[in-house]
Amino acid sequence: MSVGRRIGGPILGACVSDVVALVLSGGGGERVSVLSSERAVSAIPFGGKYRIIDFVLSNCRHSGVNRIGVLTQHAPTSLHDHIGSGRPWDLDARDRGVMILQPYLTRGTAGWYRGTADAIAQNWDLIRDLGCSRVLVLSGDHVYRMDYRALLEFHAASDATVTMGVTRVPAEETHRFGMVTVDGEGRVAGLIEKPDRAETPFASMGIYAFETAALGAALREGAVDLVADVLAPLARAPRGVRAFEFEGYWEDVGTIGSYYRASLDLVAARPRLALDDRSWPILTRDEERPPVRVGDGARIESSLISNGCRIAGTVVRSVLSPGAVVGADARIEDAVIFQDVVIERGAEVRRTIVDKFARIGEGATVGGPGTAGPRWLEGLVLVGKDGRVPADARIEPGVVVGVGARPEDFAPGLLRSGAQLANHTWYGEDE
Amino acid sequence: MRSSRYAFILAGGVGSRLCLLSERRAKPAVPFGGKYRIIDFTLSNCVNSGIFDIGVLTQYRPTSLNQHIGTGRAWDLDRSRGGVQILQPALGSIQSDWYQGTADAIYRNLIHLRRRRADQVLVLSGDHVYRMDYDVLYAFHLANRASVTVAVTEVPEDAVSHFGILEADPSGRVIGFQEKPRTSVSRLASMGVYLFDRISLVRWLAEDAGHSQSSHDFGKDLLPRLVARGEGVFAYRFADYWQDVGTLDSYYEANMAFLGDHPPLDPSDPDGVVHTQSADRPPVSFQAGARAGRSLIANGCRVSGTVERSVLFPGVSVAAGAVVRDSIVMHDTVIEREAVLDHAIVDKQVRIGAGVRLGVGSASTPNRACPEHLSSGLLLVGKSAELPDGLTVGRNARIGADVRAASITADVPAGGVVNGPDAMH
Repeated sequence: MSVGRRIGGPILGACVSDVVALVLSGGGGERVSVLSSERAVSAIPFGGKYRIIDFVLSNCRHSGVNRIGVLTQHAPTSLHDHIGSGRPWDLDARDRGVMILQPYLTRGTAGWYRGTADAIAQNWDLIRDLGCSRVLVLSGDHVYRMDYRALLEFHAASDATVTMGVTRVPAEETHRFGMVTVDGEGRVAGLIEKPDRAETPFASMGIYAFETAALGAALREGAVDLVADVLAPLARAPRGVRAFEFEGYWEDVGTIGSYYRASLDLVAARPRLALDDRSWPILTRDEERPPVRVGDGARIESSLISNGCRIAGTVVRSVLSPGAVVGADARIEDAVIFQDVVIERGAEVRRTIVDKFARIGEGATVGGPGTAGPRWLEGLVLVGKDGRVPADARIEPGVVVGVGARPEDFAPGLLRSGAQLANHTWYGEDE
Repeated sequence: MRSSRYAFILAGGVGSRLCLLSERRAKPAVPFGGKYRIIDFTLSNCVNSGIFDIGVLTQYRPTSLNQHIGTGRAWDLDRSRGGVQILQPALGSIQSDWYQGTADAIYRNLIHLRRRRADQVLVLSGDHVYRMDYDVLYAFHLANRASVTVAVTEVPEDAVSHFGILEADPSGRVIGFQEKPRTSVSRLASMGVYLFDRISLVRWLAEDAGHSQSSHDFGKDLLPRLVARGEGVFAYRFADYWQDVGTLDSYYEANMAFLGDHPPLDPSDPDGVVHTQSADRPPVSFQAGARAGRSLIANGCRVSGTVERSVLFPGVSVAAGAVVRDSIVMHDTVIEREAVLDHAIVDKQVRIGAGVRLGVGSASTPNRACPEHLSSGLLLVGKSAELPDGLTVGRNARIGADVRAASITADVPAGGVVNGPDAMH
């Protein structure tokens, strides 16, 4: 089996300077429920202080890929806020830049993006005018650290019109991925979307290095989906598509289960994803927050706690974003807590993801062991942004508390497994 | 044309009473509060008060400060017009020389006022921890038609000898000024915050420059003279927290004051966020078996052992079995297994070997080298020092910067001194 590997030795600068990266961040991700009801999946917080898209933007920065377009469609406000002028990634410079490529109207035909290929096609004039000979397509929903220079070098040295990043996944997880069969020469022979079983161990990482001209030609045919309408035909063409194997940690965090497991993996004894490698820092829009304030009766173990947090209670195997507050005698276990969440005194929160600004009232009990509730939720509890869980409420495993839920939504103070509270969207009225 | 605002920040202080901490950096660059430098408070006060045009005057060991301020990006001071500029002593004109005193330092930089439209000039010290809205000071100054307004704060009676002490009449007009008096009826201390009417400032500085017997200092020379001859000097009483962290003991206590549930100043208060140059560090990682209580722990730290009543700056690692108690540990210091720190102030990038014990025994022997500053039981370890496994260090001891493990062959007794390879004293 000859699949491309990272190439040692010197890396040619010319290769990355001639590339524009397109980060696909348009997805609303039904599969992450309330976490993406007001933001794109790639804008979801991850690892305490980061957003998912930081991993890809940092990879670009450290790989020297300095021209980036981010394609957005679903709830892009958070992404706009986060990316801004691209300063945290040093992209706000004369010869670099990050552009948000949003859907737009013309007098002609353009409109909402109908698919990944359509999104690129609608921005093709702009992409082509950059004059780069290669286009690197990336997904904003994946968490990994990768030097794209190796893939681009590999691509430049081959005759293929496309090189795609692939990674080995366990046989029982093929249903989560686009699987890629590779022939004896390292060429892509087939693409199978989320099969229950596959002959191949290789999953597509959603990373494609295209020859610009070839991508442009394929898009002119009215392509909608990048895999079905562009890659599959190109794989059948004479020059074909090559596979490049990436051997490091890579995770698609686009479902609640994978997001949760990837988060808790960060607090395992040996995390598979290093956040503390000073040679490859994950860059983000850092909020100016004071150091973590640990109170007198606090107990914190196997956890990641971000600046601005104030901890008086117990936190075990959890990830806390900046500004989260844990009151005295509260207990947080196996949980993921976003920015500025307040867990009041005596509350217990287990196997739960709590979104920004939510508040868990005094003595409330949220989540616990087991997989009750809808299957996709895997027994977790999700508390949407700005949700207010009243004091002493009890929420069983497998419950979704909608965005902006109000105390009166919890009528008898108990939410049984499977309950899903509706979202209350905030339109500027007073709280 | 509307007047704009301009501030000078005096950041050249030697800070000799901070001993090792300011041996290799100016006092305003000394780390404070778990992730800040002392000057961050003054710089943040400026931007939070809408002052985005600032000159920082440096002289003593400015490298660390220059690096910290950089382009001023952390404070939104990297601007096309205005922003922050480092004003170093320079050669090249008749007024060129080292800065003789605070007034002289401003005098030599009056050129920077020439093309600015500031009708008032704010002169600040980069040495203090406080949060102040300078807007209120401007309003007070203008309402009183003052020539100069000095911000003052009340200090305890036994502290008057450390400060410039002002006496004011009920209208706020200053009628007496003594620099560091032994005793005084007034307890109003100058905070090192002066708002000058620009025209008066230029005239007074030129006049002071001509006095051969003057030490060219605002507190020692200029202000007492102005008060004595009845110029419009006013005192603005500031009632909130203000801390001069000029001594090791006050530095230590000021840091510890930030540990409680009610710190004297909340650096994340949306009305006055304290900004600093933050490195890209991951969240604090607490490992299995970690214990922490009543502490400030910054991003990038990794805690496997125990941390109590301590301040840990970014990137400190505390190995399993190690105990950090009542201590201040700066950036990227590594504390190996079973080491114990008690009342230690440890500078950046120090390696504390396994089983090292810092701060044992009695506090009654002051430090041999600086007995007047290091006698309350704290001990100091300088930047990048290496402490060999199993070393014991007594209280009030001082271990110099860059000391190599191999050069420490015996335990360090209370009050002991181990000098680094290029000790300054």
